[in-house]
Amino acid sequence: MKILTANFVQCTVKACGSSPDCFPLHFDQQTPDLPLELAHEDVDFSPEFICNVLPRIEWPALLTTARELGNTQLPPAKPEIENPSAPENEQLLRDLHTLLLETQIIQGSMRCANCGHIYFIRDSIPNFLLPGHLVQ
Amino acid sequence: MLPTPSISNLNIERVYEPAEDSFLFLDVLQDELPFIRERFSTANAPTPLVVEIGLGSGIVTTFFQKNILTNALFLGTDINPYACSQSKETSKENGDPKYFDALRTNLLDGLRPGLVDVLLFNPPYVPDDTVPSFESAVKTDDWLDFALLGGCDGMQVTSVVLDHLTEFLNLERGVAYILFCRRNKPTEVAKLMRTRGWIVDLIEERQAGWEVLSVWKFSKAK
Ligand SMILES: C[S@@+](CC[C@H](N)C(=O)[O-])C[C@H]1O[C@@H](n2cnc3c(N)ncnc32)[C@H](O)[C@@H]1O
Ligand SMILES: [Zn+2]
Repeated sequence: MKILTANFVQCTVKACGSSPDCFPLHFDQQTPDLPLELAHEDVDFSPEFICNVLPRIEWPALLTTARELGNTQLPPAKPEIENPSAPENEQLLRDLHTLLLETQIIQGSMRCANCGHIYFIRDSIPNFLLPGHLVQ
Repeated sequence: MLPTPSISNLNIERVYEPAEDSFLFLDVLQDELPFIRERFSTANAPTPLVVEIGLGSGIVTTFFQKNILTNALFLGTDINPYACSQSKETSKENGDPKYFDALRTNLLDGLRPGLVDVLLFNPPYVPDDTVPSFESAVKTDDWLDFALLGGCDGMQVTSVVLDHLTEFLNLERGVAYILFCRRNKPTEVAKLMRTRGWIVDLIEERQAGWEVLSVWKFSKAK
């Protein structure tokens, strides 16, 4: 699971849907059975692509996710980039590219701060199934 | 004809094998290419998010990645764990976009509301007494029945998605493509959805064996 995905998902427990704490899910508590494992996977870098993705990002949630995964280098506010190909923007866009698209969470767990439910990631696929919530 | 993705290692005992319904879906996307490219430019922000429910082998999402919008963001879901990993493999075999993740979940559960720009769904549409039981699938680790059996009128799964479209689609530009068979009574579904304010279009209808399949488009006025 890519780190960008953590910015798109929330707790699936229905009662949490209205709580501001259902997003983002937290990586701060991992279980010994499934230690957090990250890996790097190369993706072609395009500064324009990252710039066009930026408006979709909830910045405070990304800061939380990144911090819990050990990255404290992000700017505190969402950067506003006029010219993606300007040399002074390159480092920041490359860092975001590496964080959002190239870092794979191979395994680990995500915790809802509202209800405490834990979602597991295995083989890079997060599992959001709650047996009681299926179509019957 | 746009190229069909190659899938070299598909375990058809575990994951739905692409069939007439899948291929109708690809043809519909090919027909819709001009509409989709006009509505969602990937040259400008924000980048569109394309989401497929029920990835199966990943054939539909991978076709979209390769041929329709190469620079979009892609997410897909499946209740079948083998479909999730197979889809990632299929995407990779065909060159992977910059962003694609498979989530194991029920429909769109877990996705934050309002994010989806293009929704794709080739659902379990075959009428049956019930939808398959999750508990027994966990015991047998056999998820294949979920691919086709859609319960009453074959609509038990699809109607949940239709009832929640407003919640998941981006309301300004979101569009959903959903496949039906004739026994799902799609013209009645279309009528109902129009009363809920959706613009509903039949894109293509096709005889497939003894089944008549069709793909419909749902959107709100732009
Ligand atoms: C008809 S198959 C389509 C597969 C593939 N998209 C294709 O066109 O070949 C339906 C898929 O939906 C999945 N599915 C069924 N019920 C689901 C649910 N409640 N949530 C997510 N996926 C589901 C099945 O496991 C299956 O992979
Ligand atoms: Zn929760």
